[in-house]
Amino acid sequence: MVRTATVTDRLKNVRIFPQRLLQPETAEKLLNELDQVKGVVRMLISGKNLPRKITCGPGTGKDVNHPDRIIIHVSGCAFELHVIVGEVLVEVENESVVDELKKACERALPFPFEMKRGYFIKSKPTLTDYGKYGFKSKTDETINLEDERLLGLIDPHAKVEPNLCMIKAEGL
Amino acid sequence: MAYKPQYYPGNTSVAKNRRKHMAGDLEKMRDISDEDLTAILGHRAPGSDFPSTHPPLAEMGEPDCPVREVVEPTPGAAAGDRMRYVQFADSMYNAPAVPYWRSYHAAINYRGVDPGTLSGRQVNEMRERDLEEFSKDVCQTEITDWGLAGMRGCTVHGHSLRLQEDGTMFDMLDRRRLEGGVMVMDKDQVGVPIDRKVNLGKPMTESEAAKRTTFYRIDNVSFRSDKEVIEHVQRVWELRTKYGFVPKA
Repeated sequence: MVRTATVTDRLKNVRIFPQRLLQPETAEKLLNELDQVKGVVRMLISGKNLPRKITCGPGTGKDVNHPDRIIIHVSGCAFELHVIVGEVLVEVENESVVDELKKACERALPFPFEMKRGYFIKSKPTLTDYGKYGFKSKTDETINLEDERLLGLIDPHAKVEPNLCMIKAEGL
Repeated sequence: MAYKPQYYPGNTSVAKNRRKHMAGDLEKMRDISDEDLTAILGHRAPGSDFPSTHPPLAEMGEPDCPVREVVEPTPGAAAGDRMRYVQFADSMYNAPAVPYWRSYHAAINYRGVDPGTLSGRQVNEMRERDLEEFSKDVCQTEITDWGLAGMRGCTVHGHSLRLQEDGTMFDMLDRRRLEGGVMVMDKDQVGVPIDRKVNLGKPMTESEAAKRTTFYRIDNVSFRSDKEVIEHVQRVWELRTKYGFVPKA
C-alpha cells in the first residue's frame, strides 16, 4: 500500500505579540524564559528584517551595521538575529502550558503583550516542501524529512543553517 | 481687520495643530547647523558650491513672457540649481506630522515646491538651495520629532510599525538612533555613512507627542470627537458627490 501524505497531529500554537518591537537583550530574555517552560515544542520568531547591506537606492551595497543585528544565546545555542523581534509563535504540547507561557512573558517583558491561541505555524507539507525534500520512497509518499517539526519554521527556499536553531538536539 | 485664513475646522488639539502646520506657525525646537543639514541630505558635500543644471536666469536672456515678468523666481531657480528632494517618514504613533500635512505645509508656505504625498512618507522636490532652506525649517521645528519621524530617501519602512522599546520609530538602515538621551544621525537620508554625528536633539516624550500630533487616534484624540471636523468632512463629500453628478453630460 502506498502512503499518500504526511499526517501529523496538530498541536496548539500561541502567538505572543508585544506592544513594542524587542531589543535583542529583551528578545534573548524572552526566548530563554519561554524555553524553560515544559511542553514547548518549537518557537518561531518573526519581525522586520535587519539587512546586512543596503539593497536599494544610491547607497546600494553599503554596509548597514545595524546595532540590533547581533548574536544572542538561547539555552546555550548562539544565533544571529536577522530581524527585530516583533512576535513569537510557540507550539505547545497541550493547553495547560499556556498559563506558564504567560507567566514567562510577564517575567521577560517590561510592557504589555497580547497572547492568542490558534494554529499559526504550518503543520502539513506543501507542494514547495515536497519539491525541496521529496518523497521518502516509491512506496512511501510522505515527505522525506527525519523530523517533521522542521516544517513551517523556515521558508522552503531559504537555507536552514542561519535560520534554524536546534536546542537539546540529543533529546529530539 | 486683516483677513486671517482659517485652514482647518475643529476645536481639538489635533485640529489646532493641523491649522498651525498649514499656517506655518511652528515652534522652533532645536538647532541644526547648515553643514550638518547638508551632510544628512546627502546631495552635495558640505561647504561645496551648488552644482547647476543651467546658467543663472539673469544670464540666459529669457523670452518675453508676461508670466515670467509677474512671477519672481526662487533663489534656487534664479541660480539654476539642480532639482533635489527630501523625504520624511512619520510614525502613526502620534508623530507630529501626517504626510498630508507635510504637503499642505510645504505647498502653502513655500514656493517652487513639488510635494508628493504617500501613505507613510512624504517627499518634497525643489531647487537645491530652496530645498536646504525648507529642510532647515522642517528639521528644526515641531513638525518633526526625530524620535517619531525620520529623514529617509529610501527604505522608509517604519510608519505603521510598533515603536521600538526605546520609544523611537524603527529604522531598517539605522540612519538615526537614540544615544545618551538625544537622537543622532551618522548616515545621510539614503543610508550612506557621513563623516560626522549630527545631533538632532531630544525626542519628544510620549505626552508631549500626544499634545503636538496631527494624527487622530482613538487612544488620543479621536476623529469622531471633533464634531466640527465631521461636519466639514461630510459637507465636502456631499458636495463632491453632487457636483460630480451631471445627468445631462
